Amino acid sequence: MAQHAAAANSAAVAGPTHGWSEDWLAVAAGFVVFAAAIAFLFGGDLLGWAMSPRLWLEIGKSVRPGSQAYAHVAPVLLLLATYAFLLVMLTIGAALLRANIGRFAASFTILFWLAYFCWVLGSYAYIAATTPGDMQRFGIGWSLRLTGESGYVIALLLGLAIANLLPNFATWFGTAARPELYIKTAIVILGGTVGVKAAEQLGLASTVMWRGLAAIVEAYLIYWAVVYFVARKWFGFSREWAAPLASGISICGVSAAIATAGAIRARPLVAVMVSSLVVVFAMVELLILPFAARALLGDEPLVAGAWMGLAVKTDGAAVASGAITEALLYADALARGIRYDRGWIVGTATTIKIFIDVFIGVWAFILAYIWTRHIEPRRPGDELRGGEMWERFPKFILGFAATFLIVLLIGLHSSPPVLASLNAAMDQANVFRQLFFVLTFFCIGLMADLRVLWQEGIGRLAAVYVVSLFGFVIWAGLLISWIFFSGLKPPLAG
Amino acid sequence: MVGEEDKPRIGDAMRQMGAEPLLPVEKKLIAWSLILGIVLLAILIWTGNASLRVER
Repeated sequence: MAQHAAAANSAAVAGPTHGWSEDWLAVAAGFVVFAAAIAFLFGGDLLGWAMSPRLWLEIGKSVRPGSQAYAHVAPVLLLLATYAFLLVMLTIGAALLRANIGRFAASFTILFWLAYFCWVLGSYAYIAATTPGDMQRFGIGWSLRLTGESGYVIALLLGLAIANLLPNFATWFGTAARPELYIKTAIVILGGTVGVKAAEQLGLASTVMWRGLAAIVEAYLIYWAVVYFVARKWFGFSREWAAPLASGISICGVSAAIATAGAIRARPLVAVMVSSLVVVFAMVELLILPFAARALLGDEPLVAGAWMGLAVKTDGAAVASGAITEALLYADALARGIRYDRGWIVGTATTIKIFIDVFIGVWAFILAYIWTRHIEPRRPGDELRGGEMWERFPKFILGFAATFLIVLLIGLHSSPPVLASLNAAMDQANVFRQLFFVLTFFCIGLMADLRVLWQEGIGRLAAVYVVSLFGFVIWAGLLISWIFFSGLKPPLAG
Repeated sequence: MVGEEDKPRIGDAMRQMGAEPLLPVEKKLIAWSLILGIVLLAILIWTGNASLRVER
């Protein structure tokens, strides 16, 4: 077994035995950041000290605070403050999860600085500069034009290198390597950003959401049926393997595979292996699809966003793919003289993914009903309970919905200056959203010990995944995204 | 406590997997999912075109 992937996934399969769940912890952590950001509306500048990278050529000028009010403070102090804020908040979280907090703090410290280093490296001018103006400003003749979001890819690759070359070091990260917690927290924070975009462009946001309903239909009714058929008929998998595999490939990766395995009473081994596979393939998709979108959908930014939400599995990979796609497409558009308003591609990808996530519990309940009634009737006393639907519901979505609605309602009843302040407040929160992204991707890489997974005999499962994903899911997702989103454009920036 | 050598391996688990032909209820699940999915997508396309036109 891939020790670290399996350990994390086993914990997810088993669920929390004591204390908080990761979902509720993500809601709480996301709300701490969100509430501090919202204070900006009332004159507070509680997050302006948080440091994020900017395009750089000299390392001394590679990071800056979110607010000019902190520009006079030494960058090292602000970097330490950024680290300390996350360390304290997440160590409290680790205590609530009943993890060993000393061990967590030590692991998180190394995790944070390695991931932050990748984030900064991603903004190196030779890697990230996208426009002739930027290259001229830095006096460089070429750039890979990968945008600042390449920091996510670098973090993923560093994590992957550690997992496969230094497996003991990867295992050492232990409880601090929590990609699901980090991405769920990021998504709760992202709710506010999507909310302010919706307040600014309510008509377009409503259209995106309405069309997002297609994603639910596609993922649950079309993808699932096709993948289940392929796994059962073409590859001869048993029902116990085929159902979680179909959910993992079709719906939302890890959560759906675990929920389905639980619903049909599959052995924990099945959920663990399918989850590990989902993480590996999500990584492959993250590295390929944004660049495919750049090549195929340069003039259709929202089709590209919807495609990432539909085709890339796991919340983290889908939302980050949206972010990378946005950076790539917006940079190309800027080179053509078009400056789109930020956040629409990643917002579309997130909306699609969230819509799909919402129904995981319902789907698990439907499968449980079919299995208990028609395939493997349960023993007396083990009947299906309505409460199982709520147990399977991904609670962090409530956090996303809450931050989205709070900001939307404030934004819809605000004057233009207040709306501008709201935008600035969400920009401050966004620094932490990006930080949680980069932590997520470093952790995803850490958990993908490809060599050990292969030794375990994951090849046949992987074959189903390859055939279904690259033979059907990606292309059907592109077609549906095109049908529903073609012609819709993000608004132009101010 | 389960020793490393006692842990179930995926390769073993898959070799032990018996042949399970598709049951009629599974065929129904697949067929009805696809039919319902295509019908709902058609409805969404139609309603989207009819009532949610936005400036393009």
